[in-house]
Amino acid sequence: MSTLHRKAAQTFLKNGENAKWHDATFWALRDKRDNMAMGLDEWERLRDTASAIKRHTVTHLDKYLEQFATNAEKNGVKVHWAKDAEEFNNIVLEILTSHNVKKLVKSKSMLTEECEMNPFLEQHGIDVVETDLGERILQLMKQKPSHIVVPAIHITQEEVGHLFERVLGSEKGNYDPTYLTYQARISLRNEFMTADAGMTGANFGVAATGDIVVCTNEGNADMSTSVPKLHIAAMGLEKVIPDYRSLAVFQRLLCRAATGQPTTAFTSHFRKARPDGEMHIILVDNGRSDIIANTEHWETLKCIRCGSCMNTCPVYRRSGGYSYTYFIPGPIGINLGMLKSPVKYSDNVSACSLCCSCDNVCPVKVNLSEQIYRWRQNLDSLGKADPMKKAMSAGMEYLFGHPGLYSTSLRFAPLANHLPRLLMYNKLNGWGIGHEMPEFPRESFQTMWKKGEVK
Amino acid sequence: MSTKEEILSRYRRNMKVTGQYDMPDFSTLKGVEYDNPLAQFVAMSENVGSHVVDLSAGDDINSVIKSLYPEAKVFASSLPEITIADRNPDTVDRAQDLNGTDVGIVRGEIGVAENGCVWIPQTMKEKAVCFISEYLVILLSRKSIVSNMHQAYERIQFTDYGYGSFISGPSKTADIAQALVMGAQAARGVTVILTD
Repeated sequence: MSTLHRKAAQTFLKNGENAKWHDATFWALRDKRDNMAMGLDEWERLRDTASAIKRHTVTHLDKYLEQFATNAEKNGVKVHWAKDAEEFNNIVLEILTSHNVKKLVKSKSMLTEECEMNPFLEQHGIDVVETDLGERILQLMKQKPSHIVVPAIHITQEEVGHLFERVLGSEKGNYDPTYLTYQARISLRNEFMTADAGMTGANFGVAATGDIVVCTNEGNADMSTSVPKLHIAAMGLEKVIPDYRSLAVFQRLLCRAATGQPTTAFTSHFRKARPDGEMHIILVDNGRSDIIANTEHWETLKCIRCGSCMNTCPVYRRSGGYSYTYFIPGPIGINLGMLKSPVKYSDNVSACSLCCSCDNVCPVKVNLSEQIYRWRQNLDSLGKADPMKKAMSAGMEYLFGHPGLYSTSLRFAPLANHLPRLLMYNKLNGWGIGHEMPEFPRESFQTMWKKGEVK
Repeated sequence: MSTKEEILSRYRRNMKVTGQYDMPDFSTLKGVEYDNPLAQFVAMSENVGSHVVDLSAGDDINSVIKSLYPEAKVFASSLPEITIADRNPDTVDRAQDLNGTDVGIVRGEIGVAENGCVWIPQTMKEKAVCFISEYLVILLSRKSIVSNMHQAYERIQFTDYGYGSFISGPSKTADIAQALVMGAQAARGVTVILTD
């Protein structure tokens, strides 16, 4: 019963007030998503179409990647391919050093988190500056994201205030979000002005045109690429989509699902380098070409990283991003972690109540909970099944296979209602921790049926 | 073998998904359409934090902008009809020279009623003007409003600069305590001026 997730969740729940705020905040995002979804008659049709486009694209990825790369190269963009994190980091470093870059400003990219690019570049003397406000706060605090869209959600405004007092010299005791955002704006503006290169991720790569498309609310991807003349875009293989018809579908879904806004403030299309500048796109595999080989889990590749599965997840909302051992939390993170390394990340598969809410909100219809269920079925083969649950399952199998024993047990079950609390609510009974056990009825359904009491 | 070939052949070897997945039929996907796209565009623009001004016949665009931003000292634009511009993003040496601009003025090509997006293709040497300015003014023709993104993506055009952005309202963030703040890293306010 004691997975790492469960232990970390207990720590998270110790601060009851923060935990409650966390739960309510994400439920509010879910609520805003619902308003957006209900506001469009074609919402379900959009989801079906998005899912079909992604299924088509990820099963024809070689064709679309080649088309994308050819078109990007026609536009004068330098396209690189990286098979893993190490190759990716080295390509970035090589581009930066060949341009004598000292400072890199970058927008949010989960791929660079995945490849642990920042520490690698910093070891090589590059000053890396995150420019998304949430990411910047985390970078200054030396922390990791706890959510893929709202990465600093676990940090309070007071903590940000204290941080800015120390690092940016902001007013003591001023915790007003508007004031603090403005302080960060001034500081980041200076970073943009003095950076030698800009880096972005890519929400989409459009095969038909070679564009990369980056969606932000802050405009930081655009600032990062409007001042420095060198732009490097990091893109996972699965981000390629066929054309603008497809892009319209995803653009309409992404932000509505993510934050319940009708669109991000900026949907920016980068097709060519700036005048007298250079643009590089690095296409990163890092395990993605193996996911397609997994006939049970390949649909994970459809994910567009909106985070809506986290926002709706009752376990994520009540346990926080840091309770998961993979860097992406929530339902999609559970699955991506298992695809990365089942032995290393199997602790997360218990962080699911199989309520299937994630399946219902996912804009591209990834069958998240079904996949988590499949991983759980395979835990035993990894040697990761819980011994207590295994023993209980064996016991139940025996019980249900022997009707006589079953009805005898049923007759005596109500005795459990009269056991002293200490016997039922202790460390041995994990189901008794944090909630009341159900009461056994005095008469079983079987007995009632036989007596003709069931009408 | 190059990494490209290595990745692609690995993918081809691994592609074991059975079943044929074709591109879906887009003809049955109907995006929302409004009876009055212009009215919806104005409502959505305000919803995302923009200010919308209807330019009447005979109004002078330059004095309208001046009166909208009476405190502003530095204007930047490459549009020929903007005579109040102190800086021109076509002729500045470096993008950095646009820092400290109070109001940047650009032209939008398409307005999208469902979400307040305005398509702004890069038409100036330094696109920084769209983001670095404290406030952004977008000139947009009333005749170029479409209902939804499907229609917008059928129409958008790029110039040779190879960059364009759908901008919907000011730069915003809720990264501190989920409190919505306008003016994260780009423009702190946006005015869309509707023209003929």
